[in-house]
Formats: sequence, structure tokens, C-alpha cells
Amino acid sequence: MRSWLKMIKELTLRPKGERQIRKSPSYSFDEDLNKPLSGTKVKEILSINSDVVFREFFLQGKERIPCLLAAVDGMVDKNQLDQFILKPLMVDLAGNPEMAQLTLANIVDKTLQSLLPGLEFKKISKMGEAIDAILSGDAVIFFSDSREALVFGARGWANRGVAEPITESIVKGPREGFSETLRINTSLIRRKIKHPSLRIISLKLGDLTKTDLVVTYIEKVASPDIVSEVFRRLGTIKMDGMLGNGYIEEMIEDNPYSPFPQVSFTERPDVLAGKLLEGKVGIIVDGTPIVLVVPAVLTQFLNVNEDYYQRAMVAILSRFVRYLGAFVAMLAPSIYIAVTTFHQEIIPTDLLMSISAGRQGVPFPALLEALTMLAALEILQEAGLRLPKPIGSTIGIVGALVIGDAAVKASLVSPLMVIIISLTAIASYAIPTYDLSLAVRLIRIPLMILAGVLGFFGVSVGLYVIIIHLLTLRSFGVPYLSPIAPLRIRTLLQDTFVRAPWWALKRRPQLIDVKEPQSGRKGKG
Amino acid sequence: MKRKWCNKIALVLALLASMLCLTGCWGKREVEDLSPLIGLGFDLGQKPGTYLITEQFVKPKKGDTTISADVDRTFSLEASSLREAYEMISKIAYRVPFMGSLKVIVIGEDLAKAGLMNVLDFTQRYAEFRRSMYLVLAKGKAQDILNTKMRSGTLTAMYIKNNIESGDTISTFPTVRLGHYFTVLARKSTAPIIPVIERTKSGDGGIEYKSESKEAQELRIQGAGVFRGDLLSGFLNDEETKGYMWLENQVQQRLIDTVDLDKSQINYAGQVLNSTTKYHVKTIDGTIGLEYKIKVNIAVDEVLGMKEQVSELEWVDLMQEAEQRFTKVIENECQSSFQKERELSLDFLGIGRHIEERNPAYWKTVKDQWQEKIADFPVSLDVQVTIHHSGMSDSSATTN
Amino acid sequence: MEKISTHQFMTLGAAVLMGGTFLLLASGVTEASGRDGWMTVLPGFTLAIPYGLVVLSLLVQYPHKNLLQISEILLGKWLGKSIGLIYILITGYYGGLVLAVLGDIYERSIMPLTPLWLFYLGGLLLVLYLVGSGIEVFARFSEAVFPVIVIGLVLNVLLAIPRMEQGELLPILADGIKPLFFGVLKVMPFAMEYILFLAGLATFLPTGKNELGQLRTGLWRAAFMVGILDMVVVIIQILVFGPVETIRLANGILELGKLVEISRTVSGIESLFMGVWLGALVIKISAFFFMVTWGMESVFNLKGLKWNYLVAAVFMGIALGFTRGPYMLRELAFVEDYLMFPVALIWIPILWGVSCWKKGTGVQ
Repeated sequence: MRSWLKMIKELTLRPKGERQIRKSPSYSFDEDLNKPLSGTKVKEILSINSDVVFREFFLQGKERIPCLLAAVDGMVDKNQLDQFILKPLMVDLAGNPEMAQLTLANIVDKTLQSLLPGLEFKKISKMGEAIDAILSGDAVIFFSDSREALVFGARGWANRGVAEPITESIVKGPREGFSETLRINTSLIRRKIKHPSLRIISLKLGDLTKTDLVVTYIEKVASPDIVSEVFRRLGTIKMDGMLGNGYIEEMIEDNPYSPFPQVSFTERPDVLAGKLLEGKVGIIVDGTPIVLVVPAVLTQFLNVNEDYYQRAMVAILSRFVRYLGAFVAMLAPSIYIAVTTFHQEIIPTDLLMSISAGRQGVPFPALLEALTMLAALEILQEAGLRLPKPIGSTIGIVGALVIGDAAVKASLVSPLMVIIISLTAIASYAIPTYDLSLAVRLIRIPLMILAGVLGFFGVSVGLYVIIIHLLTLRSFGVPYLSPIAPLRIRTLLQDTFVRAPWWALKRRPQLIDVKEPQSGRKGKG
Repeated sequence: MKRKWCNKIALVLALLASMLCLTGCWGKREVEDLSPLIGLGFDLGQKPGTYLITEQFVKPKKGDTTISADVDRTFSLEASSLREAYEMISKIAYRVPFMGSLKVIVIGEDLAKAGLMNVLDFTQRYAEFRRSMYLVLAKGKAQDILNTKMRSGTLTAMYIKNNIESGDTISTFPTVRLGHYFTVLARKSTAPIIPVIERTKSGDGGIEYKSESKEAQELRIQGAGVFRGDLLSGFLNDEETKGYMWLENQVQQRLIDTVDLDKSQINYAGQVLNSTTKYHVKTIDGTIGLEYKIKVNIAVDEVLGMKEQVSELEWVDLMQEAEQRFTKVIENECQSSFQKERELSLDFLGIGRHIEERNPAYWKTVKDQWQEKIADFPVSLDVQVTIHHSGMSDSSATTN
Repeated sequence: MEKISTHQFMTLGAAVLMGGTFLLLASGVTEASGRDGWMTVLPGFTLAIPYGLVVLSLLVQYPHKNLLQISEILLGKWLGKSIGLIYILITGYYGGLVLAVLGDIYERSIMPLTPLWLFYLGGLLLVLYLVGSGIEVFARFSEAVFPVIVIGLVLNVLLAIPRMEQGELLPILADGIKPLFFGVLKVMPFAMEYILFLAGLATFLPTGKNELGQLRTGLWRAAFMVGILDMVVVIIQILVFGPVETIRLANGILELGKLVEISRTVSGIESLFMGVWLGALVIKISAFFFMVTWGMESVFNLKGLKWNYLVAAVFMGIALGFTRGPYMLRELAFVEDYLMFPVALIWIPILWGVSCWKKGTGVQ
């Protein structure tokens, strides 16, 4: 019993502070990794893997020194290795006066300082570093049994290049999107903000995957509290594998059990740059084109960057439509249920008659009818999501025909319910952020049940619970419903429900108000 | 803290689960189980102390693709309270009567003479009803009115409702909602009035229509009934009601002609575009009285009895004459209304209330003998008619 | 230590001061002062200003203490504790009654067949969630919900304009000024409820010099805002129903919601408005819940989740004990007029007097 409870607790509660998640197993070479470097040992550990290649050669200096070049095939740029390491050392430099002075003792410094051209050379002296470097796609040159080695950054693997982002399409604005390669991504963001205050600080996470990630922010614009909080939280992550930023998101967000996204994502460098300029912090992870941005507040999930590229008046309209869409997506079915089962007095008599006629012969009560339809809708959405495009369109046809038409003809559902559910589905696509639309889809269901049981009383209780929940949320110390509550009148008026023209956006949005004291994260300790 | 989380989740899950199981009770009604009530009629019952309550329900009929016309189900029940009637109807109709869609309450003449309060109490107390329902007074029995088979096929109650709502365009009868009736009733000094509805057979009042049955198949709202409190004590005819409409500032648009004044002259008809009435407490003939100032804008769109084309200047004069004639018509209507007020010695024009609003000190002195005072309370009338234009023509075609 | 900002102080104050007053006020003031009842609303609410200023000045002398703790300091331990006890009893009782009001208006107006305890449960669930999340969240809640309440009221009033009767407000002051006095007396207890809330809230208020000025502005802004809003609500009811009917109608504003028609089709949207009124009542109940917990904390040093559940159970018990609507409304008026009003009326000036006197003697 006790162990059961413990298990449930472990499953439901996120540990505070550092905790290893899925510890990596221990290996025979674990101890060696901290030891001083040795080329033969490295070869011993890695040679079993077919993708690691070793090239042995000799350098003729004062003495004949055996060297070993190690790299992962497919991850290094072979041309660069040939051109900048093997060719100079073995062909061009033969007979160079410097070569004559080479001994085993000074070979590392000598080659680094005067023999090898190339920008990315680094000296290392640990086994672990050498192995990490090789497996990350760098080339390492070992010199006989010297305790030091040279790393040559010649990473060059197949990558996708900069392409147009798929999830965030835009009508008027830049087309480039992040790709899977960290360096390309940082260069994209550096190209947008060419100021020394843009900080790009790198970290490594994951015991087995050794994933590179960078934290980026603009000094003096981002609040130092938030920046240090980001580093603190990233520091507590200890896991064996890290394959995407969803891992990080769940480990660093304040309230893992909330359906609402507390970290925002973007695939677009221009969006990230915009967010950084607002004082937010970006986390770019190698291997995924999606960048995490913290802190996040609710309203920003309904705003898109295109608002800033459009004319202010037009942007206001499209923002309004999006807010409306969010409301409809969340409330339309529950209002329909509440109105038809409890508050019929709202319905104009003519409409009442047509609803009533439409429901003649429908065997289910409105609530069950709506829930079934919604289940069908969710299944359709989920099924269509991952299907290849040619098959995907069949889903639409089947769904429209079967659910829309046949079900009504067979008197399984009423025609108005079909309209309501499709309106809901369409409205939920008006929410620009996928995470938020998922949250809306989730809270729609309890609201519908409440509406079916208690009418508008239930719906309003449900809505107030959601509001209170949103009010208790904080994202990296920033209240989630800011700037509505706590009220930041300026931010609210200039850039929340409406967007003021650019000349009016004089001040940066205040993320943390000095006046509202930070009482830690309420309900977290 | 940790325990709190578990608690919260458990609580929410338990609540949701229990709610799913519990659906179906707690006052929930599916739309198709309802039988919307759209018209309610009250008459006196055969037995003393009972009422003949007529309830008109509507039932949708589902066609193949579209929803065809609504079917009417009208019941008349003799019961001593509305709740009893409700019970009786529930026994025969398998659907739940739904009051929220009620449009019209029709009051029978005999009941109106015996007092309304008992039947109206339910309608203003029960939460499903609203104060915005229309009240009409039936000439004859309310039951007959609601049972009229309209030639157009519309439901009687809907017909009455639409008729009242489009009444603004002719402004010949007052629009009385339940709430308005109660508010006027609470003023005490003012007598409430309710418009009268009657059935018209083919041939009645110069209206003819083709009809297979001998029953009347059309309804007409014209005139009004005046109440002393909740007791009917007199009727206003069409002209008196029109006067009431002018004096109470309720005219929005009107169709008006001057033919009745003098048939031999050139006559005009037109549409009242708008009208405002203002009230002033003034000394008339030495005592305090009320002066009505009515400003009316009219567009002339019919000129009768013109034989030849006139010049522009003459036309101007003619229009001035028309203004005077219209003024006369309006004054006549108002005067007949005053006449009736004196006759009935009931202040349905709300003169007392106008006095109270404008001269509360004087009102206090006359308040108690107001019933007697109305009979000769001095009023004066000042009607100003402005003719905006005379339509698309500034003269008339010549007849030779 | 939790703290609330000055703007939150204003909206929280306004929301608590408003509470459900707009539901019941019109009938009371119109009964007391007739057609001119609407004039009494604003003066009644402005009484909150001088008393609030007194509380703020005590706050300056004893920062981060609520008035119960201050009474213990100034009046001695036992007197202080007994005041605290009275405070707990009154606020607890009244909180339960407001919960009963919540059930009553729902049962009366839109959902007659739903069991009362469900409304109580729903309301208490929200209250417990709010109280459990702390005063900061409560302040933010009122900050977010109060504007919605204001919009709801204004919409309700605006949509009712087509149903207005002619000249129901006239004549103004036909019976002179005297009847107004009784109307003001009807409104004043609401201001005193707010002062009692302020007495407990004092702990969480910022005490900087700048902020104190803002608190004062917030105080009168809240009083005027609520006064004017409630006044508009009373005016529209008198205009639509006439004074006699206004007195008779149980919840005039709900009746108004029923009357509303949008372009002659959508009508009877009171059930939508009810959702907003629910928020207002939840704020009021939560405020009283907080007052009870503050009282218990400073008098008996009891705090924690289980005491919250206990208070919730007491609220529920009181609400369930008052299922007879008219009886409950009479009891509510009794607590307002004869318990809360005199307590606040006497307690606060005494405290202030004693503190001034102590300061005077301390200087010498």
C-alpha cells in the first residue's frame, strides 16, 4: 500500500531540485573518462564502432612521432581534414624549418601555434573531452602518447538548410525558419541582432545524448532575475537523453499539471528576435528547429508576429478575431448545451422551434450528443494530423460525409449540433498557437459536462475556476495573466488586445513590475 | 503542498465523475421535451371562482429537409388557478409546458370586468415569465380570439404579437407590455389602458375577404379598454385612442387624412414622420391646468379633390392650408380623448402624473380629490403641424 | 509575506464594497426614500472614505498589523481578543448568509429545480480555491473580474433603456430632504462591511509614503465608483419599473435582465448576467472568508488548510440553515444594520482615539 502511494507520488509530482531522470548505466570506461588523455585508450574505446575512423600517420620532426587522427565518418567535413590537417602536416610542411624543432614535448603547442592553419583549433587534455569532441563531429589529433591533443572543428554533416517554417506560416514577413543545426540557428539570430549585448551562452545536457543548447538573451533588456532563474532551472536537469525541447519544457516550467502552455515556442528567427527585444530569454536546442522562449504570458499565445508587420488597424481586427475564435472554441458547445437544456428562454421562439424539430428523433440528450460529436471530431483531427497528405484529404471527405451528412440523415445527431461542433473546430484553428489550442480543446470537455449538469451556473463556476487557475500560474516569476491582472495598463492598452501603432510602442512591455513584490512562487513550496 | 496537489486532482476527478452520473436530474429539460406556450387567454369560468384559461402551444413539425409550419395546439381549461390549469394540461400533453416563450396575454371582456389581478399574479411572479409580454383585451371571449383559425395559417398568438410590433408604423393603438401595465397601475392616479382586439368577419368595417367558413378569420387591434385599477370600466373608440396616442407622446408614424373634416374641399392625406408632445403646467382660465404642445411632421402623399394644376406659389399656400387642416384633425382626435376622460372621470391620460412631475406642491393639494377633479380639470392644446414635402409632385395632374 | 499593489487595493476594495449590493439595494433605498432613493446611494457609500482614512492612518503607525492586532496592543489583551471574537462571529455569520443569497437568487430566478446545496457547493468551491491560493491571487481575481462586473452592469443598464417609462424620476425631492436620510442609513452598513474588511486587509497593504497617497486615492475612487454604479442601477430600476414596483420586486436587476431584448429576438439573457453576478458574490463571500481566517489567525493563532475546511463547513451550515428565502433576507438585513454597522461605527473611532491619546502621552 505504502509503496503504491509512493509510486503514485513519484508519478504525479515533479521533484524539486536536482534529480537524475533515467540514469545511464555505468560502463567499464566510465572511470577512464576523467583520466589524462591517451590516444590508444580512445581508440580502444571507440574502435568497435564502425562509424569512427582512425587515420594513423607519422610526423617527421626532430624525432619521428606517430599521430592518430580520429573522427566520425559522416559528421566531419572530410575535405577540410584533408586540406587543413593531413595535407599541411604530411606534404606541405615537410622540410619546413619549424618542423625540425618538433619533439614530443612541444608538438601540441607548436602545431597549434604555427603549423596548422584553420580557425577552430583547441587543445584538450582529458579523455572525456576527446571522446565528446569526436562524437560531436569534431576531429581529434593525438600525438603518440602525449597527454594533450588537438581538436579541429570541422563539423560538416548533411543538414536541411534554412527553409520556410511549416508550423508558423505567415503572409507578410520573412520566410526563413530555424533548422536542426544549432550553429545555423545562432547565426540566424545573430544576423537579426548585431549588437554585443546579445548573449549566446552554451550548455550541454543529457548524459548519453550530450545535446548542445544555448541560452540567448539581451543583456540589460532581459531581467537578470529571469536569466539567472533560467540558468538555475536548466542546471537542475539531469537526464540521460534529451532529444527535443519538450523535455526541457516540462522540466523547467512552473506548473507541469496545468493544461496551459507556460513556455512559448517559435520556429522563426524574427519572432525570437522580437521576443528577445521584449526582454525574454530563448533556449535553442541542437537537433530541433523549435526554440523555447520564456517567460510566457497567456495573451502572447494569441498574438502573432505578423501583427507587427501589418498595419495597426488591420492587426487590431485580426487580433480581435483570434480572441473571439478562442472564446468560441472554448465555449460554443457548452453554451449550446446549457441553453438547450436549461435556459431555453434565451432562444428566440423561431429558433427554439427549429432546434426542437431538428432534435426530434435524436436518441441522445444534448450533452451526450455533443460529447459524441466532439469525440468524433477529436479522432478526425488526430487521425488527419499524422497522415501523409494524399491520404489526409480522404479523412476530410469521409469525416464530412459520414459525420456531417449521414449522421444527420440517420437522426443520430441534430443538424444544429453539427453546425456547433464544426464552428468549434474551425474556431480552434483560429488560435495561432498549437499548444494553446490543445489547452482549449482540453478544457472544453469539463465545461461541456458542467453545462450539461448545471447549465450556466456550471459553466460560470468552471470559467471562474479556470480564471483562478490562470491567476495562480506564474511563468518564471511573471504572473501568467499579466498584463490583465496584475494590471499593467500601458502594456494592456498598447499591445494586448489591440496593437498600437509602432510610434506609440515607446516602452518595452513590463514583464515584472517592481511594484508587485515577488513572493516566490506561491503554491510551489 | 504535495498532498494538496493529489487532493486537488482527486477532488476534480471525483466531481467530474459524479457529475456525469448525475446528469438528468436537477431541473434539466431537453428542448424537444418542451411545449412552448405562446399565447395565454383568460376568461371567467362557468363556476364562480374559476377561470377559463386558454393556452396556445406550438409544436414543430419536421419535414423531410426543412422544418415546415408550426402546428398549433390550443387548450381551454376551467381551473381556479393557473397552477391547476398547468396540472390539467400536463395530464393530457406529454410535453412540459414552457412559459418562457409566451408572447401575448389575451384578457376576456367578462374577466376584465371582474378584475385581472388574480390571473396576472402568476404571470409576474413565476420566474419563467417576463414583464415584456404584450397584453391585449378581447372584445368578447379570449378563448374565441385564440381559437381563431387565421387565413394566413399563422398561429394566432404569433399573429397578434407581430401585429402589435408592427403597430409603430400606424400608431393607432398603444403597445402595452405586462411590466408597463403594472408600473402604470402602481402610479395610482393614472388609469391603465389596454388595446382591444376583435375578430372581424368578412364584411365587418368595410373589410371583405374570401372565406370558406362562416367563422371570422381575421383579427384586428383597434381602440382600447380603460381600467379602474384592474377592473375594466370603459372602452375608447378608434378616434379616442388616436387622441390618447398623440397626448401620451406615443405616435411614431401615423397615416392621417383630412377627409372627415369637410368632404367638399380639397383634402390631404399623408404620413406622420414623427411627433413629440411636451407638457407644461400653466394657469388656464385662472386655475392651474395642463397644456399639451404637440409638434408633428407630416409628408403629404395624397391630395384629393384637386382639379387643375396650380403654380408653385399657390402650392405653397395650399400646403399651409393643409397644415391647418391636419392640425384640426389632430385637435379633434385629442379633444375627443379629453371628452372621454371627463365622461369616464378616469385619468387614463395621466394628467395627474404630469402635474405631479411638474408641480409636486400643487399635486399634493389636489391628490386626494383627484377623481372628482378630473371631470373639469382645465387642459389646453397647442398643435403645430409642419409639412415637409408633398411627395414626388409639387402639384396635381390636370383633368379636363 | 504576501502583498498587494495599490491598484489591486482599489479594485479589490471596489469589488468587496460592491459585492451583491446591486441586487438588493434598489428595493431598500426606494422603500426608505421613495422616488428619490437613488440620491442616497452615493452619500451612503462615501461614508467608507473617512473611516477608510482612519484605518489607513492606523496603518501608518502600526505597519503590517491588522486592526485586531492593533486593538490588542492598544486596548489590552483581553479586550482585544474579545473584539476579535466578535469580529470572527459576525463575519462568519454574514459570510454564510451571503452564500445563502447566492443560492437564493439562482433558485428564484433561473434554475428553480436545482437543489440549493449545489449552488452553495459551487460557490464554496470557488471561494476555497481563492482562499487557498492566498490574498495575492484574490486581489488579482478581483482585478480581472471587477471590470467584467462593471461591464455587465453597464450593459444591463444600457439594454434596459428601451423599456424606460416616461419621467418616472420626476418630481425630484417632492417630499423634501428628510426621507433621504433614511435611505442613506440603509446604504451605510455596506460601507461598514468594507471597513471591516479593510481592518483585516491592513496587514497586506504597502506602507511606503508614496503608496500611502495612492491608497488614499484608491479608497475614494473605489467608494465613488461603486457609489455611482449602484446609483445608476437604482436609477434605471426606478425609471423602468417606477418606485412602487421597484420596492415590490425581489431582485430588480434580475428582472431587468429578463426584460432585455436585443433587436426583438434574443431576450431574457439574465442567465448570462447571472454568471457575472456569481463572480461578484464569490468575491464578497471570499472577502468574508478571509476576514474569518484573519480573525482566527490573530486571535487564536489558528491557520492552515484544515481550519479553512472548518470555516467552509460553517458557511455551508449557515447557508443550509437559511433555506427560507424571505427569512434569510431579513436576517441578512439584521446583521448588516444591527451588528456590522454599529461594531464598525464604534470600534474604529475608539481605536483611533486611543492611538492618538497614546501618542499624545508618549510624546510628553
